[in-house]
Amino acid sequence: MRQPYGKPEEEVTNIAKIVTENYEDEYVRNTFGELVVALISEQPFKIPFVAAVVLFANNDKAEVAQDILTRVANHAQAHLEAGNWRELKLALRFLAFLQGLYNDDGVFPVLEELFNRAVDLQTASSEDVSAALEGSSQSCMLILSQVLGLELVKIILLTIPYVLASSATGLEQKVAELLEKTDIVASTPHTLEPLVDPYSSAEEDQKPMACPSLINILQKQLQNESSNGWQLSCIPRLYKEENTAMAGTEENAESEPKVPSKHSFPTINVPSSVKQGPRTLFPELYFSLFADQDIEVRQAVGSSEDIAKRSKQSVPPTSDVAASLLRDAIVDTINILDYNRNATAKFMIEIDCYWTVGTFVKRATPFDKLKDVPEGRSTWKPEDIIVDAVFSQILQLPAPEHKLIYYHSIITESCKIAPAAVAPSLGRAIRFLYRSLDVMDLELSYRYMDWFAHHLSNFEFRWKWTEWIDDIDQSDLAPRKAFITGALDKEIRLSFAKRIRETLPEVYSVLIPEGKLKDTPDFKFDDDQTPYAQQGREVHKLLRKKAPEEEIQTVLDEIQKLATEQGVEDPLIPSTDAYMTSVCAIGSKSLSHVLSCIERCKERLLAVGPQSEPARRQIISSVVEYWGDHPGVAVNIIDKLLNYTIITPMSVIEWALHDHLNHGRDLSKSYVYEMVATTMFKVTNRVRQVVVMRNDPATPAEQRPLLDQTLTTERQSMRELFAAIEDAVTSVASSANDEMIERFDGEEVEQALIRAWGERWARAWRRKAAVEEAVVGEAVVEAAAAALDAQASAEAGADGNGVDEAQASAEMDQVE
Amino acid sequence: MAPLTVRNTVDRLDKPSSYATSKQKRRRYRNPDEEEREKSPEVEDKLKDATTLYVGNLSFYTTEEQIHELFSKCGEIKRLVMGLDRFQKTPCGFCFVEYYTHADALDCLKYIGGTKLDERIIRTDLDEGFVEGRQYGRGKSGGQVRDEYRDEFDPGRGGYGRRVQEGYADEYR
Repeated sequence: MRQPYGKPEEEVTNIAKIVTENYEDEYVRNTFGELVVALISEQPFKIPFVAAVVLFANNDKAEVAQDILTRVANHAQAHLEAGNWRELKLALRFLAFLQGLYNDDGVFPVLEELFNRAVDLQTASSEDVSAALEGSSQSCMLILSQVLGLELVKIILLTIPYVLASSATGLEQKVAELLEKTDIVASTPHTLEPLVDPYSSAEEDQKPMACPSLINILQKQLQNESSNGWQLSCIPRLYKEENTAMAGTEENAESEPKVPSKHSFPTINVPSSVKQGPRTLFPELYFSLFADQDIEVRQAVGSSEDIAKRSKQSVPPTSDVAASLLRDAIVDTINILDYNRNATAKFMIEIDCYWTVGTFVKRATPFDKLKDVPEGRSTWKPEDIIVDAVFSQILQLPAPEHKLIYYHSIITESCKIAPAAVAPSLGRAIRFLYRSLDVMDLELSYRYMDWFAHHLSNFEFRWKWTEWIDDIDQSDLAPRKAFITGALDKEIRLSFAKRIRETLPEVYSVLIPEGKLKDTPDFKFDDDQTPYAQQGREVHKLLRKKAPEEEIQTVLDEIQKLATEQGVEDPLIPSTDAYMTSVCAIGSKSLSHVLSCIERCKERLLAVGPQSEPARRQIISSVVEYWGDHPGVAVNIIDKLLNYTIITPMSVIEWALHDHLNHGRDLSKSYVYEMVATTMFKVTNRVRQVVVMRNDPATPAEQRPLLDQTLTTERQSMRELFAAIEDAVTSVASSANDEMIERFDGEEVEQALIRAWGERWARAWRRKAAVEEAVVGEAVVEAAAAALDAQASAEAGADGNGVDEAQASAEMDQVE
Repeated sequence: MAPLTVRNTVDRLDKPSSYATSKQKRRRYRNPDEEEREKSPEVEDKLKDATTLYVGNLSFYTTEEQIHELFSKCGEIKRLVMGLDRFQKTPCGFCFVEYYTHADALDCLKYIGGTKLDERIIRTDLDEGFVEGRQYGRGKSGGQVRDEYRDEFDPGRGGYGRRVQEGYADEYR
């Protein structure tokens, strides 16, 4: 069906002809029907084309359109009931594009019903909203219903352009009425928006990009477009009423052109209460790297010229509805087709085939040539639009739909298909993000760094490092310097230090010290200056030759005795250090080596924690110290130690954010964030899994009380961990950390930088805590449980004919 | 009610292992009389919950840490087994990566297979699970079979193929 370079009008009429001429054939009927549904659900770019096929087919055979309408309506109904909002949106888009087919109000009554539901969901009072921000789980629930309301309004707003681009006419009044209604919902800023703002720490005018609410700008864009007479010029319209006549006459030149049949809009019932659906929804912002930036730095003098210049941008401005239409279709394509990144990348590169000719400037037009594009022609660079959309996902808060690496792979594949076109856009994206590191959300700057290193690893680690040379001399606390250090560490982890050093200008070698080039780290007890050096070596030797536990104990006792004599408060600390450092050294060859060594030593390591919490944290210290030049390895080992329950999540948090905060300075180190984030992910993921199990209809009812109990305990410890993080980092943010004041009194620049790190940490972790409450908070879980019970009792009530029904629906599915 | 899932409109990258299906083909080639059949149900069955991946075309110098760094982007790794030369017990260019969930393994096929690690395009295949002994190369000289007869130079995999180095392929030079 796809022929990007063919003439779409011909393709579309040809397909329509093949279908109508062979429609008696059951195989053709079914295949066509299935394909239409599959295409509109999986390839949003093609919806206007598929709709055009149906419109042309209807000219010759009303039956074709009738069957498709029924099929798509069933599909939409199923997804509406399941709360699959994206699928519903795409099905409605298709049906809206067929508005010209209907002899009634078409898609409008469904849109109005959806709006009514949105209003029902908006009933939460503003007091509840503010309570929710303080963590009340009950109110979180209400807020989430509000977000669902926003989602419904978004669907309505994104359907409107397509209904107006259909062959139907005279809809302006209806649309104006609908827009008037949606305005109140769409224009009210949502309380949760700061939670998803990538630049929430920046003042409004300092933000690299305003990041407006998606639904808010969409409403405005539509209002703008209505004052421009609904041009909606980017949407391809292949079917026009006059085409009809021509298509009709081709076959039977003698007969009168047929009047295409009209149909009634298929039944879609919006249930009285709508479901949250499988994904927890959050408000969406419109993130862009390139939007609303003039391509010419020069400012024109005259005001009219000023406006003309401003319209020259490499992507649609946020005031243009094309920005939302393109972004929505691209992001959907990416998120739907995650099972074939090559196909997705191909769609991205060929995006200009699916929108009105002239929507974009020619592919691979260099950015600095955009200013030479004649007045009145598009300067929108397809590559910029794609890169922009992919980054909107990588930097989506709280999280994008798929694993981040999927979005990395889209960029990699796009670069492979069209390196000369994509790479320069990517370079500008990298620079834009680099410039805004100081105001970027902490988690996002980590994602950016992780992507950057991974991306370079696919392209021979090539980057113009020379342009960042000035930042090398900055303090390690400067966000840009921290980014460079973190990115190089990540690159080394995917490769090796010597190789990475080769890819850098000479001046960068200070960032890759000799220690990183060594195969194995030094064993500190080899140096006699190290306290307990001789005993440390002994422990190492005994462990290596797998000596009996008693022999090892003797040496450890010796260390403890010495320590006690020297007045060490907790003698278990130095002995644990000698033991764990030896474990690391013996396992230094590879991860499997250290794991098997830990496995062998786990009894003794497990016994440390219950005796002394500081000694347990010493285990972490020993690992991090031993692997100081390769923090990635340390983070890994700590992760495994958590699995063994040798250390606890709280010991990691306390170790990183209390014991070894280094007066707040270490908040700038990416591996510290990584360590805390991996640990917290383990904890939150576990709680989420319990919730899933708790509310899985397949879980036997008698197991629920036990799961509820587990959930209560685990959720409690999760909250304690979040609180511990919050405590530690807010004290840095407010400089209340005693040691810090003592040490940094007077060094104002440093202190300001440290405070900023504290603030960034606080913001990111407060958000993460709020997000978890929205997913696993009491009220949320209870509501889901209540829904489950209601469903169960409904099924019990319908007992008897329940089996028949199930069977009937299964059979129907087969027919479909 | 219409079914919620639709037939996919493009190929899936997380289809059952091509290694497993090629094993089938080889068997058919050896026993041409064997009845024509599509993928055997056992193979499909074994892989339907698979959490392990076979990873191929690694450089001999690629370390566990590097593999871990990349593959953990698809989920926590439960176990990593390096493929070793049967005689020298040194890495010979493949490994098994085991995840905790089937979904993570599928994501790995979708997002990592065919991308670069240590500057080589690596291959991933769904695998029915590691068993002791499978970590060793099955080639005559201890490494992987593909490295026996390779006549192009690959610095990451020991230069020319071992048999080629021994002069086996003199006629081709």
